[in-house]
Amino acid sequence: MALDDNKGVWKSGKGKGRLTSKGRQLDDKPWAEVQELLKGHPRSRDLLIEFLHLIQDKFGHLSAPHLRALAEEMRLSMAEIWEVATFYAHFDPVREGEAVPPDLTIRVCESLACELAGSEQLIAALQDGMDPSRVRVLRAPCMGRCDTAPVLEIGHNHIDHATPAKVEAAIATQDTHVHMPAYEALLEYRSAGGYAKLEALRTSGKWEEVQETLLTSGLRGLGGAGFPSGRKWGFVRANAGPRYLAVNGDEGEPGTFKDRYYLERTPHLMLEGILIAAWAVEAEKCFIYMRDEYPAILEILRREIAALEAAGLVTAGYIDMRRGAGAYICGEESAMIESIEGKRGIPRQRPPYVAQSGIFNKPTLVHNVETLHWITRICREGPEVLNSVEKNGRKGLRSYSVSGRVKKPGMHLLPAGSTIMDIIVAAGGMADGHTFKAYQPGGPSSGLLPASMHDIPLDFDTLQPHGTFIGSAAVVVLGHNDSARDAALNMLRFFESESCGQCTPCRVGCEKAVKLMQEPKWDANLLADLCTVMTDASICGLGQAAPNPIKLTLKHFADEV
Amino acid sequence: MGEQIKFTLDGLKVTADQGETIWDVAKRNGNEIPHLCHKDQKGYNPDGNCRACVVEVDGERTLAASCCRNATNGMVVKTSSERATKSRAMVMELLLADQPKKNVSHDKSSHLWDMAAATGVAESRFPSVKKEHIPLLDDSHVAMRVNLDACIQCGLCVRACRDVQVNDVIGMAGRGHDAYPTFDLGDPMGDSTCVACGECVQACPTGALMPASVVNADQVGDRMDFDKEVQSICPFCGVGCQVNLRMKDNKVVYVEGINGPANEGRLCVKGRFGYDYIHHPHRLTKPLIRKDGAPKGLNVDPANPFTHFREASWEEALDAAAGGMANLAQAHGGPTIAGFGSAKCTNEEAYTFQKLIRQGFGHNNVDHCTRLCHASSVAALMENVGSAAVTATFNQIENSDVAIVIGANPTDNHPVAATYFKQFTKRGGKLIIMDPRGTAMKRHAEHMLQFRPGGDVSMLNAIMHVIVEEKLYDQNYIDTYTENWDAEKEHLANFSPEKMQDICGIPAETLRAVARLFANAKAGMIFWGMGISQHIHGTDNSRCLISLALMTGNVGKPGAGLHPLRGQNNVQGASDAGLIPMFLPDYQTVTDDTIRSNFTTVWGSGDFSSQKGLTVTEILEAVHQGDIKGMYILGENPAMSDPDVSHARHALEKLEHLVVQDIFITETANYADVILPAAAFYEKSGTVTNTNRQVQMGRAAVTPPGDAREDWLITTQLANRLGLGWTYETPADIFAEMKLNMKSLNNITWDRLSVENAVTYPSLSPQDPGQPIVFSDGFPRENKRAKFTPASIIQPDELPDAEYPMIVTTGRQLEHWHTGSMTRRSVVLDSIEPEANCSVHPDTLRVHGVALGGMVRLETRRGSIVMLARPDRSVAKDMVFVPFAYVEAAANILTNSAVDPFGKIPEFKFAAVKMSSA
Repeated sequence: MALDDNKGVWKSGKGKGRLTSKGRQLDDKPWAEVQELLKGHPRSRDLLIEFLHLIQDKFGHLSAPHLRALAEEMRLSMAEIWEVATFYAHFDPVREGEAVPPDLTIRVCESLACELAGSEQLIAALQDGMDPSRVRVLRAPCMGRCDTAPVLEIGHNHIDHATPAKVEAAIATQDTHVHMPAYEALLEYRSAGGYAKLEALRTSGKWEEVQETLLTSGLRGLGGAGFPSGRKWGFVRANAGPRYLAVNGDEGEPGTFKDRYYLERTPHLMLEGILIAAWAVEAEKCFIYMRDEYPAILEILRREIAALEAAGLVTAGYIDMRRGAGAYICGEESAMIESIEGKRGIPRQRPPYVAQSGIFNKPTLVHNVETLHWITRICREGPEVLNSVEKNGRKGLRSYSVSGRVKKPGMHLLPAGSTIMDIIVAAGGMADGHTFKAYQPGGPSSGLLPASMHDIPLDFDTLQPHGTFIGSAAVVVLGHNDSARDAALNMLRFFESESCGQCTPCRVGCEKAVKLMQEPKWDANLLADLCTVMTDASICGLGQAAPNPIKLTLKHFADEV
Repeated sequence: MGEQIKFTLDGLKVTADQGETIWDVAKRNGNEIPHLCHKDQKGYNPDGNCRACVVEVDGERTLAASCCRNATNGMVVKTSSERATKSRAMVMELLLADQPKKNVSHDKSSHLWDMAAATGVAESRFPSVKKEHIPLLDDSHVAMRVNLDACIQCGLCVRACRDVQVNDVIGMAGRGHDAYPTFDLGDPMGDSTCVACGECVQACPTGALMPASVVNADQVGDRMDFDKEVQSICPFCGVGCQVNLRMKDNKVVYVEGINGPANEGRLCVKGRFGYDYIHHPHRLTKPLIRKDGAPKGLNVDPANPFTHFREASWEEALDAAAGGMANLAQAHGGPTIAGFGSAKCTNEEAYTFQKLIRQGFGHNNVDHCTRLCHASSVAALMENVGSAAVTATFNQIENSDVAIVIGANPTDNHPVAATYFKQFTKRGGKLIIMDPRGTAMKRHAEHMLQFRPGGDVSMLNAIMHVIVEEKLYDQNYIDTYTENWDAEKEHLANFSPEKMQDICGIPAETLRAVARLFANAKAGMIFWGMGISQHIHGTDNSRCLISLALMTGNVGKPGAGLHPLRGQNNVQGASDAGLIPMFLPDYQTVTDDTIRSNFTTVWGSGDFSSQKGLTVTEILEAVHQGDIKGMYILGENPAMSDPDVSHARHALEKLEHLVVQDIFITETANYADVILPAAAFYEKSGTVTNTNRQVQMGRAAVTPPGDAREDWLITTQLANRLGLGWTYETPADIFAEMKLNMKSLNNITWDRLSVENAVTYPSLSPQDPGQPIVFSDGFPRENKRAKFTPASIIQPDELPDAEYPMIVTTGRQLEHWHTGSMTRRSVVLDSIEPEANCSVHPDTLRVHGVALGGMVRLETRRGSIVMLARPDRSVAKDMVFVPFAYVEAAANILTNSAVDPFGKIPEFKFAAVKMSSA
């Protein structure tokens, strides 16, 4: 054959081609491991976050090969998995060549109450003292234990009034697992008459009557929005089923720990409330979205839901608890719904409202934990439990989470018309050596008010004229040595790291605000412009309220900035 | 459409349709509100995240994103209030703080800069984000550049990738100001599953994602840096995407999708990045004549053909080409000359080609590659429906609730059509895939029936058996519109799923479930590809699909229909234009004297043969027999595309006179006596007809290199040297002549196409854009009834045995077009897929001791090839899939030339093979 015979074979890419099809390949071992973990679970899209938890819990991180395998199992694209895995703070996605986190993680709370109690020094001491190959020290947002600041979580053991010595002791004794509080379990609750009301309603109740009772009681949404609870049911029922109920247990507003307080003591008051509300709106299914920062409550609810199922009060799976994964934004109800659906916690545009189009785009009733607690109590004890209490022209009770410079920080159930002075008194007065200077009335979203504004009843509607609101009633008290400027910066840093990133005013605005607030002298005009666009044009309450600390600091503490 | 909504917009009373947004209404009223994350294009849902379009709505606490807020009755909207304009300007100012400066930006003409100007913001007072915070340049992909310093997190790339193209590669990872688009698991774009459709590049408003050809080494670029733009049609597959080509100095710089009826702005990697083959140095620029004594064989280097050829003037070459044919005709008779036309050329060129053979040589030995792709589908459709074209456009799937895709891999072969199929599943449509290979769309499918190769008829008959048994058929439809139902019913009685499950490999219960799902659909579509047609039982396969559609009443209504996905950009048009041995234009049989006389009257010439001509494979066999001695081959490459290609190459070698007209020295041109340099598609004007029956206008964007000429002109000049006296001066002249005997082109004129770009046939009036659905009131057959033709099981021609224990099946890959002559000369496409490869199940590779990256030898009774073996779980363990684009490992060396008795299509999809490590 002549040499030129092959010249018509004009091309050969030998050795240049990809060895596999495009993209990451599926490996047998991680695939088998993921299949083992998912055994018995349906491969529903909405379970993605639950499955990521399974992998994270088992392997301590989310390796790329495991995520590739999870994509295969769930028939999702890798991108759909990656964006969720990277959104939530409690997941550690690890690509090839990246460091795998050490076995032990310490999360130190850096929110306002803990910062006042010295979290910065604690973090510095821990970072100095720990072997980073064995223990990693992370900054974390509020863990809902502000009354025992500073706090940290080592593994799943929360250490109150934390010190490096306590951490060392915990490591030494491998005390890194959740500590279960004593709480009222199903048997005890039922023996005291629990669930009798539910059963009565189920047999012969009229939902309209219960709704009317709620309206009479004056109960309003205690997640912070304050929407009259009695109205929601009718709105949801106005839309054709199937309908869902979602419990917002993502108590993330820094300084707030009232939901934790109730759930660690009387979880069945909420659970019965769920079932009453579910009965009222004829919910197909109830989802509890519980923040991952509350491992004890997650365990309590796991046990008690199982007990309810065993007792025949609910069918198996009717109450479906979903575990958050470290994202404040998921306390926003539509973001929570996205998260329940297994997605990134990105707030939805309204309209439509969740009552019309919520979980799986079906009408959804969303209640806060404490709201449900009161629904049960109102049903059992009558509307008077709330509306018989009156103070400063305001009716009802408020669960104030009190922290900061007071003698007895903690959850204080007081008349809803209480002023900051009443609250400080209830909390044992100012801590020794501290003179009352300022207070945060309802989480960082509410900003900071000066001590001079001490006579305002801290209730829904009363704070709006002052440019703030009560929100979740997370009261942090500042003393004369505390800096309003630092407190405001602490709040904006929180929003910066918790902004979901969806809309420009909040995503870029929080980041720019933090930079501007670190300047020795604040550019008041530019900050004012920034506050305007954030308030006016952000999609959700996070971005709309994030400027409040800036605005109120500029207004009341101008000398500090 | 509900009642009109009345509201107030900037003080004016305006109306809106239900579901219309404030932004839409404002635009309709002449006010284009600034916008960044909103893309005003079908397929893109408004997202409202950038807040650059916020407006003030009376009574609302905050501003509303006009792009995603529906107008409601009584709403009072102010788009230009101080509050709204202030926020819009602030949004822009926040974003500009982190943008590269305009004069060094990745796209100096980006939408962002336009919007900044519209908002009146040029500078930002805000501090910039820290440099180390921004992801670095990702230049891992040959076709695109990712510069996230310009990213504004608008998510248009995510929507492009996920909502529009449904490739699901891009996600928005991270949170807050750490949120950035990423590929797969945060992988470099070039290492990801990205299929380079480039939709994200077209959607990106800032230049963060750019075609690599538009930015320089410093990542500075400008989309508006071009000197000419021309709208044309993508030259690759049968989807027929409309494109906008942007040129500088007579070279295409980049391509964007425009709003064609089939593609609505979308493109795939070939259409967007595969255009540069036309600028390849191998392009033929001068006619070539074989040197005396130069041996014929696959022996010519396309980079230097002068070992075997010499340049000639057009005069000399045309004389030689025509003279050679004339001499043979004179000496041995016209039928010794045969022609292969091309489905890659225009309708006008297909028409002139078949006319030249028929008029010039008096017979019908003219065919083209439809023989190798859908000839059996055409045979079955003509037989049972009376028409060879699709009954509904593929876009009709938006009205379906169930769809079957069988023997087709649209994500590779019809990628833009596939986007519609995937979107259909996203909105809840149930997709049933039937294929021996687990195709990429299986992730989106309700059922993936991975049946045994060749088991089509047993599987489809079993499904239809269930429909009969469970009385799920549409009796009313059957009674009104069909015939031969009783025979079909009786025939199907023998095909219970329980009996068929072992033959087709699909469990009876699955077959039953699929039957119920499809039969109970309100509207179902059936799509098929070469997995159906390229079998010796290809016509039977299609008959089954036609019967399935008929018995469920799924023809002639929205969301229902039969759609064989046509392969080449103009295979529909070339077939319509009569480039088939049995048919004159519009499938009018050559055996009818009246029909022939209608044509010869127009042509002004005498009668020609009333015998059906020979098909592609028959012609080459006739060459071997010595009956055919000369050929005129235009834009076809049988030396690569025919089955048992060694045998086919020998035929070409044997020809006494071979004229090849092409843009490159193809493998076929290696054997030519005269090579005529042609213009590429983007260098000429003419119409093409896509799989949807949409006749579309292609326009010349650049001038051909050297002396290359448009094909219709070359054919005309040859015809005139054969004494045919043609007088065409433009393709429009040819189109006008075609209309005289093609009713399908009624109401479709050259002038109309020049203005509208596309008209679907049939078009019922000069204003009618054409009928996407046909046969809603009967079929073009006797009594207007379609026919059930029962199909029995026929085994593939060459079954595996002890010596050749596996099955080889052939097909295409996303990046490569057919025989590779175009795509292997495109920088992007060749870089992504440079090497001959085959796909084998990883377990099979293990058994054969082939490691990752290892080579295998595949051997059939006809020959052997060696290539890279890729592990691929989607291939059955006893199968190997080989793409046929690679000359160095030509798949058709392996294939079997046995043909379907009706369609005369070879069995490319099945041959017995043995594999060994190499």
